Order: sequence, then structure tokens, then C-alpha cells
Amino acid sequence: MHGRVKVKTTAQQEEEKKKEREKKLKIYVAARDACFAKRKEGVKDEEALELTQQLLSSNPDFATLWNQRREILTHLETVKDEDGMQKIYDSELHFLESCLKVNPKSYGSWFHRGWVSSRLPRPNWVRELSLCDRCLSLDDRNFHCWDYRRMVVKMSGVSVEKELEFTDRLISSNFSNYSSWHYRSTLLTLLHPESPEPKSPSRDPQTHSHRVCEEQLLKEYELVQNAFFTDPNDQSAWFYYRWLLGRADREEMISCVYVSRDEERVVVGFSGPVNAESSGLFLVLDGQPQRVEWRSVHPCLKQSPVWICDLPPGTISDITNEHNLTVHWSEKPTRRDCALYTGRSESWCRDSATDQELFRSELSVEKTSVLQSELESCNQLQELEPLNKWCLLTIILLMRALDPLGYEKETLAHFQTLKEVDPMRSAYYSDLCSKFMIENTILKMEYAEVRVFSISDKNLTTLCHLDQLLLVTHISLSSNQLCRLPLQFAMLQCLEVLEAENNLIEKLEGLYHLPKLEEVLLRNNKISSLADLEPLASCPKLKHLDLRGNPVSQSDGVEAELKTLLPNVTELLL
Amino acid sequence: MAEEENQFEEFEQIDFLRDRHIRFFQRTLQILPERYSSLETTRLTIVFFALSGLDVLDALDVIEKNSMIEWIYSHQVLPTDDQSNLSQCGFRGSSHIGIPYSTKGPGVPHPYDSGHVAMTYTGLCSLLILGDDLSRVNKQAILAGLRVLQLEDGSFYAVPEGSENDIRFIYCAASICYMLDDWSGMDIQKAIEYIRSSLSYDSGFGQGAGRESHGGWTYCAIASLCLMGRLEEAFTAKELERIRRWCIMRQQTGFHGRPNKPVDTCYSFWVGATLELLGVFQYTHFEKNRSFILSTQDRLVGGFAKWPDSHPDPLHAYLGICGLALIGEPNLKKVHPALNITQRAFEHLQQLQRTWKDNCNGQH
Repeated sequence: MHGRVKVKTTAQQEEEKKKEREKKLKIYVAARDACFAKRKEGVKDEEALELTQQLLSSNPDFATLWNQRREILTHLETVKDEDGMQKIYDSELHFLESCLKVNPKSYGSWFHRGWVSSRLPRPNWVRELSLCDRCLSLDDRNFHCWDYRRMVVKMSGVSVEKELEFTDRLISSNFSNYSSWHYRSTLLTLLHPESPEPKSPSRDPQTHSHRVCEEQLLKEYELVQNAFFTDPNDQSAWFYYRWLLGRADREEMISCVYVSRDEERVVVGFSGPVNAESSGLFLVLDGQPQRVEWRSVHPCLKQSPVWICDLPPGTISDITNEHNLTVHWSEKPTRRDCALYTGRSESWCRDSATDQELFRSELSVEKTSVLQSELESCNQLQELEPLNKWCLLTIILLMRALDPLGYEKETLAHFQTLKEVDPMRSAYYSDLCSKFMIENTILKMEYAEVRVFSISDKNLTTLCHLDQLLLVTHISLSSNQLCRLPLQFAMLQCLEVLEAENNLIEKLEGLYHLPKLEEVLLRNNKISSLADLEPLASCPKLKHLDLRGNPVSQSDGVEAELKTLLPNVTELLL
Repeated sequence: MAEEENQFEEFEQIDFLRDRHIRFFQRTLQILPERYSSLETTRLTIVFFALSGLDVLDALDVIEKNSMIEWIYSHQVLPTDDQSNLSQCGFRGSSHIGIPYSTKGPGVPHPYDSGHVAMTYTGLCSLLILGDDLSRVNKQAILAGLRVLQLEDGSFYAVPEGSENDIRFIYCAASICYMLDDWSGMDIQKAIEYIRSSLSYDSGFGQGAGRESHGGWTYCAIASLCLMGRLEEAFTAKELERIRRWCIMRQQTGFHGRPNKPVDTCYSFWVGATLELLGVFQYTHFEKNRSFILSTQDRLVGGFAKWPDSHPDPLHAYLGICGLALIGEPNLKKVHPALNITQRAFEHLQQLQRTWKDNCNGQH
């Protein structure tokens, strides 16, 4: 089923074709039955090869027949001498070529050719490579051929350098050759690996996670720049470029420990979602290991960056006592210490997002000067091609790598342009922009050393990095385009005041067991039913709730229902 | 006048011809043209396209369900009396081997009769779509036949005699285990490692390690992990973001399967469903997607083709309709993005699984 174009035929031509087909069918059925008769009898001779050949010529995906052929060939290996087998396999390869002409994308044919090549007494790898060349010249995206080529290269010991030259030739004759760039990416890491960093074995993909050494990297940048200056609209070079600029993800670790006397609980923040329910998270208090149970902020979040445990009552409630806590995670030996001083009701220990370059870790490159010069090249291109989305995306990426706060204004302007030149994905870009705005607000909050997070009127369409807001006491999300406060919102364990007026909020699932939450301002949103407000009942300190301008405030008897649902609320605005 | 004609043409171009597609699938189930002969060995997959297509169109009443169910069961490779062929059990693609027609056991011993993992997958789906309760499926035999297909590296062969091995068959295996509610059919951890190793430098998935990323294999990877319930365990949040990015860039009007290739109707499902599973399908452009799919609609014989002005075929007809279902085309049933059957068929499966659990508990 490979895209046949329509061609009109007359009734007579149809009739002729029908007769031809019937004739073919008869031959086919006869041959097939003969094949299986041979098989049943266990006959593995050259006549059987002949028979299966007839069928496979017209039906190269008849897997059973290829298997039968392999059986026959394996058997013949035991009775013929080397020269004899070489002859048989040579004609097998000849036959396969004609099959591939009929259907260059047949799994069965390519697999069989690979099988034959690996068994040939005297393989002719030059011929195999030339077959690949011919096939690729007809269709340079035929992945069957590319896969076969890699196998040939491996078996024949063609050097990686030579293959790299091969991709050089293909790419320079046609920059828009995604398959070649892909192949190059696999070769490069073999030839010029970055010095190996200690990596966690269980999370590594086998290829492509190893970066390229810097000297070669600079040469690659030049090659790629040639490509995207020549044809800025071709995705190939841009994706390859992004990969060159990137780096493997950092390992997961504990990024924050928070302890509160009031709730007698310890909250642990990780750098990414983990499952700490069953795996080695241990708490040591004043030198004594504690028997505690860890839970995620919401039962539906099995993988979460934030985990909570409750201490036995009275353990830390006396404010005249000082305590020392250590949290150990045995998955990667990592630990954090946190001291809870006399007279303090809470304490924490946290990695700074700025120091950790949390939001810059996309791009690794050792020298800022390199990134800077890449940015200059892209800016040059952008002047020539102002409507090119790949260029804009790359510029944004580079800016965020160099100086997220310093380039904030330009980044926002570029996003605006992006949404205009690639309107098909404007919702995706809005989302991406929201993410960057949140990142910048987190950085600003850190500089100001406050626990107030304010991001109003920024066209936010989504929330993210909520794990970074673990310590926030006041949050303002007013005048944005948020539709919900998702489950992850429950990570804001210190939240006291939530301002979210003038959004499109329908769901509040994330306002779940927030122990310090007192004030919730949701004026002018889209909350429509009492059921949507149920999570609020889990917040014990909630006193002030503003629901004016929501559909739910118009329903009959809502006030009475809310008084039942939320008995502790003293100020209710409808 | 010219304007009116243009408007009428435009309307003609964008309306969905439900009845034509129903007839297209009906004809598919009755007889296949000669050019499909190379697909004889995979006939059951074509039946699945037609049945599931009719289900999405809410038109299963046009076929005779019971005889269809019998035909499908006749393709089950059942254990022989001495159970010596357990590693060959599963479903066949068609009767091309020549085993005499039978819908019940015991199995007929034959050295070369075996199941094919994709036929087992589509066979089970088809039975569910037809409302069957899978009571005649020999689950233990199927799982035994599945286990022998998995290699050390976590990928699967299609057949026990050996074949190419890659991520497509991991997807089939995961679907089979999911439907039978029994993961003893595969080593999940190894499969996850293979899937991880298939992630390419550009954050799409290839058929295996070092291979070019492709919308079809990306679907297999993500859907398998979702069925296993391990998506967030297998990949970090950052990796998932990059995967989303690669996928969302596949939309040109409709979707293509690889960068710099032409858009093709079937990727509206392969990539669309992947984006749905990753929670970002709503960021795609529905109108352009729809316009492209409908431009490949065959207004005369029904069905959809991969490109405009090409012959329609059951695969593109089915996946085109699924692609439309994802964007909420009216009068189409919702499709379960990971299992690739209607939500209705999926709910039938859930009901069956509840019954199996109850029966199991009842015995203790």
C-alpha cells in the first residue's frame, strides 16, 4: 500500500487485466502448494529454492517462504563445499536484487540479504556498498537501505573516518538530507567522543548521549552553519545544530529540604520527578534514624519532585529545642542537612536555581564566547531571513543559555514574531513562552531573596516548575490565561495566599492538603460547580475565599452548600 | 457566480463522506484486489483496519459479527494435544499455510505453523471490537508464544522462527499483555531499555538504537510505555519535553513521519495520537490537519489515500478516520490513543477484565 497514483482505463483494458490476473493467480496457487508440499515432506533441495523463488518474486513479504529458504540454504551448507555455496549465495544475492527492484522497502528482502551477506564464504562488501549507493541515489530516505549499509560497514570494517567522509559528500551535495545528518550524528560520537563523565547506567540511551569533543564541535558548527545559511528552511541542519549545542541531563538529586514545627512535617524537593515511596529515602533526626512514611503531594502523582513525611507528634514541636535533620536518598548516594534553630518555627536548605544554572542546562558549551559567536551568526541570518522560524527558535535557545534575564525583552519579542510566522504552533509557543516567563520570575525572586512569586498579566497559558515554588508563601497569578491549578500545584507546601483573579480557571485539583493556605482569591474565573471546589475542603487553615464572577456563584443555594463544605471559612465572597 | 462555485467546491472538499467510507470497509471485508496479494500473509491486519474503521464510524451493524468472530478464531494457533507447540501459539495472518479450517482445538501439529505477533495483536483487537468475550482465546498459550519472541536486548521478533526485530513488535507485545491483563508475556524492564536506546539525537524514536527517528516508531515507543504505565519512569521531564518538540514539529499541514518528507494521512494518527498521549495534542492546528486528511479522501470509492490524487487503501482509510476522530470530527467515535481501538471497545475490554478479576477472586 504505497501511494499509487490514479490512471484512467477503458472497460476493455479492465477486461484484459482481469484475464491476466486470473492466469497469474492460477500459477501462484500452484507454486504455493508445491512449495508447501516440499516443506511437508521435509525436502530441502535446489528445486525447493526454485519454487519459493517464483513466489517471492511477486510476493516478497511472504515471511514463511524466506524462512523456508534459509532452512534450505543452511541445510545445503552441510552438503556442499565452499565454492558450491559461494555460487549458490551469489545467485541468491542476484535474486534479492531483483526483489528489491520490485519493492525497495520490503522488510523480508533486506533482512534476508543481511542474513546471506553474513554467511557468505567470500563476501564482496564493495558490491554491497555500491548497491546501497544506488538504492540511496533513488531514495535517500530509504531507512531499510541505511540500516543495511550500517550493517555492511560494521561487518566489513569500513573505518568511521571513511563513513564520515561519505556523509560529507552526501551533505555537501544536498544539505537537505536528514538521513545523512542522522548518520553523521552516530559516527561523530564514535570518532570524537567527549571525555566520559560518570553517568548513571540505568538511564542512558546507548547512542547519542555521548557528546562530541570541543575541537570537532567547532568544525561541526561551521558545517551546520553553511547548511542553514544555504537553506534556512530545512529542518535537518537545525535539529542537528540543537543536538550539537546540547548536553545530557543532569542527575537527579535532592534540591531542597524544608521542615515545619507547626505541621510537624518534613518536605523534600528533588531536582526532577522520582518515586520515593518505596525507594530508599531516609530521615535522620538528631542522629537517630526515623521510621517515617513518605508520600507524594498528591496520590495521583506517583512520580513527583516533592515528597512529604509526618513526624510523630511532639518530636519537633517545642520551639526551645534545636534539631538537626539529614535526609538520605540511597538511589544515588546523596544527602541534605538542615538545622532547625531554637525560636524558629521553620527551616530550610535549598539549592539556588541561579547557582545550579537550572534553567540554562539545555546548552553545555564550555565557553560562553562560543555561544556568543553562535548567537551572532544566527542574528546575522535573522536579518536576512526575518520570517524563518528555526532561526528564531535557535536564537531564543541561545539567549536563554547566555543570559535569561538580560535577554528577556528580546526573547518576548521573538516569541511574538514566532507566533506570527508559524501560527500553526502558536499555542505551543505560548506554552513555551509561559515556561520561560516562570523561569525568569523564579530567578528574580531569588535575587530579591523573598518568598513571594508574582507573575501577573504575562499571558500565561500554563504552569510549570512548581517544584521550585516549594517555599513560596504568597503567589500572584492574576490576569493570565490559566485554565486550571493542576495536581502539581500541591507542591506549594508553604503557600498562605493565592491570588488568581481574572483567569479562565475551571479546576482546582492542585489545592490539595496545603497546610498553610489561608486566602484564595479567584474572582472572575470559570469555576462552575461545587464539585470543582471540593479540594479546598482539604486545606485546614482556609479562611478567606473570593468566588465572585464565577458561574458557580450564580447557582441556587451555593452559599449554604459552601458553608457545609468549608465550615472554617469566615469570609466568603460570592 | 464564480464565487458561489468556489464556495460550493470548498464545501465539497471539506465534507466527510461517511457512507462512502462504510462501503469502502465493507468491500474490504468481502474481497481484496489483486494488488494486495503481497499482503496475504498479513490479512488479519487488514481485517482489523476495516472492523475498527467501521467501529469508529459507528457502523458495525453492517457486518455479520458472529461469522467474523468465527473466522478470526480459525486463525488461532492452538496448542496440540501434547502441548509441544506452545512457543508457536498466537494468531496467524491468514490461511496461507493451509491448515484446515477449525475454530476449536486441539491444534494441528505442523512444523511451520506459528503465530505472528502483529496478527495476535490485531486478532485480539478485532475480537474485542466485535464484542467477543475472548473466552476461546487460550491466554496461557498466547503468552507462552509471546515470551519466546523477546530477545536479550528487549526487542521482539515477529515470529518464533526469527525475523527482523524492532520496536514495532514491542508495541504489539505490550498491547497483547495489556489486553490479556497479564504482563508475564514480556520482560518489561528490558523492553524499556530497548525503547530508551531507540531515542535518537533529535529526540524522535528510531526502530532501534542508532536508527533514524520516525513518527511510526515514536508512536510505538510512547504508546508502549503508556500501556505499561511507565512513561514518566522511563524518561525525565526534560526528555519528554524534547520528544514533544520533535513530534509537534511534524505538522506541516497534515503530518509527516520524518523531517523533509511529504505529509501523509496515516501520520495524522501516528503522530497525533503520540501528541495526545504526551498531553499536547491541543497545541496542534486542527483545521489544517483536517483539511489535509480530507484532501486525500476518495470521493468516489470512499477511503483515504496517503496523498491527494492517489488510490485509497484500508490502512490510510482507517488511520485517516482515526486522525479525524482525534480532532473531534462529529459523528466519529473516540479512539483510545494507546491501544488504537474505539473508547467503546476499550470499555468492553475493561468490563471483561473486571469479570476476570472477580472470577479469580471468587476462586480463593
